[in-house]
Amino acid sequence: MQINRKTRQQLDLLKLLVKKEVTLRYKRTYLGFLWSLLNPILTGVVLFIAFNIFMRFEVENFALFIMAALFPWTWFSASVTMSANILTSNVSLIKKVIFPKHFLLLATIIAQLVNFIFSLPVLIGLTYLYGSAPSLNWLIGIPVLVLIQFVVIYGLSLLISIANAFFRDLEYLVNVLISLLFWMTPIIYPLEAVPEQFRSLLVLNPVTYLMQAWRDLFFSNIINWHNIFISMITAAVVLIVGLLVFKKLDRKLDEVL
Amino acid sequence: MIKAENLWKSFPMRRDRPGLKEFVVNAPKYLKDNTNRFWALKGVSLSVKKGESLGIIGRNGAGKSTLLSLLLGVAKPNEGSIEVSGNRTPLLELGAGFHPDLTGTENIIINGVLLGHTEKEIRERLDSIIAFTELGDFINMPIRTYSSGMQMRLAFSIAIHTSPEVLLIDEILAVGDESFQRKSGKALMNLINGGVTTVYVSHSMDAIKKTCDRAIWLEQGEIRAQGETGLVVEEYLKAQGGSGGGSDG
Repeated sequence: MQINRKTRQQLDLLKLLVKKEVTLRYKRTYLGFLWSLLNPILTGVVLFIAFNIFMRFEVENFALFIMAALFPWTWFSASVTMSANILTSNVSLIKKVIFPKHFLLLATIIAQLVNFIFSLPVLIGLTYLYGSAPSLNWLIGIPVLVLIQFVVIYGLSLLISIANAFFRDLEYLVNVLISLLFWMTPIIYPLEAVPEQFRSLLVLNPVTYLMQAWRDLFFSNIINWHNIFISMITAAVVLIVGLLVFKKLDRKLDEVL
Repeated sequence: MIKAENLWKSFPMRRDRPGLKEFVVNAPKYLKDNTNRFWALKGVSLSVKKGESLGIIGRNGAGKSTLLSLLLGVAKPNEGSIEVSGNRTPLLELGAGFHPDLTGTENIIINGVLLGHTEKEIRERLDSIIAFTELGDFINMPIRTYSSGMQMRLAFSIAIHTSPEVLLIDEILAVGDESFQRKSGKALMNLINGGVTTVYVSHSMDAIKKTCDRAIWLEQGEIRAQGETGLVVEEYLKAQGGSGGGSDG
């Protein structure tokens, strides 16, 4: 009974924080929630024009090819970028109310996940447009990849959010690193397009396999267990590091906020 | 019940925050460095029995708010131990945890859940919380449209309707108008008489004298005097040069 009530309360708290995050972000705009969808779509259109029309990249079904990795990437990059100032922008809450701080991180990641899920119909539409269709593999692949990517983002968010409280430069550094990572990840180009001698460098990038796995699923309709397995290991490592650093720095957090 | 023993709390005194590069190079030093620290509390011990109310007085920067945040648990002492039994409810800062774009009602719910209650429990008490605030139709407006007095009404009303067991109050009550001050004072006395443990930080000697059984006078992080409220207040006022209207109480 006691345990049940506590769990209920924690779930309620998480739910309310997610709801707040989803509804308030675009509160005073005209297009509102639609912005979270328009953002990656417009980015995709820009990339399509630049690389397909102007630079004539020879990739089949280029629009689907980009979007298949761009939507999951948007979930990743938006959450990680936002995580930097989640603790530093909720000072009054953290210093005056006792509650689990990591819920603020979870709420942001879940809110961004909601955006990602709302972008799936666009992907489905694109598959039909290119004369293909979503397969049953999606039903297995999507939950598995969502789970792995969730863990990767959460681990990174723990690390970045608390580190940024101690040196605020990180917030700006993260912005730069994320856009660097975008170009270092096979999103607008296939991994095979990278010259052999550089490919091993790209493989060091923790999200290469993850984005590849998403594209294998959405673009080629296959579940690439090899990529998924490597992503799982990455996720576990990132999570453990994140948890350890968060726990270590949390003791001194009240001094720097 | 609150029992705190030998609390020490310090903050780093650094003119500039280290940049990333500097931090990485000197990381061990920054994580361990204890030299340039400001000691906000230097060995403070106190205990408050269940149902008792303790007043804390002292000049600005004496360590009162630091002490409260340690008792609340949002900051950790460098040394010493704290033991608090019962559900802690803070009334520390106007609008802590309030979101300006949410309505009064929405803020009541999220705040109530933040204080450790389920959404259902808060919804069941929603009517009485709203009634107590006397905010009328404003309750459905975003709270960025509220005056600070109105925000205080909301915060206070939530706090007293969520069955607090340990109340930690920092000055907040001074914001309301005369009639709400009387009303909230009465509600507070009811809670205290009903067995709620209270720690009350204030610069209003009248409020402290009215509410508290005992008082502690903090100065530069140490307890300068403690005991029966009237005596401690009198001593404190004398040391401040006898000014202020507190001596007529």
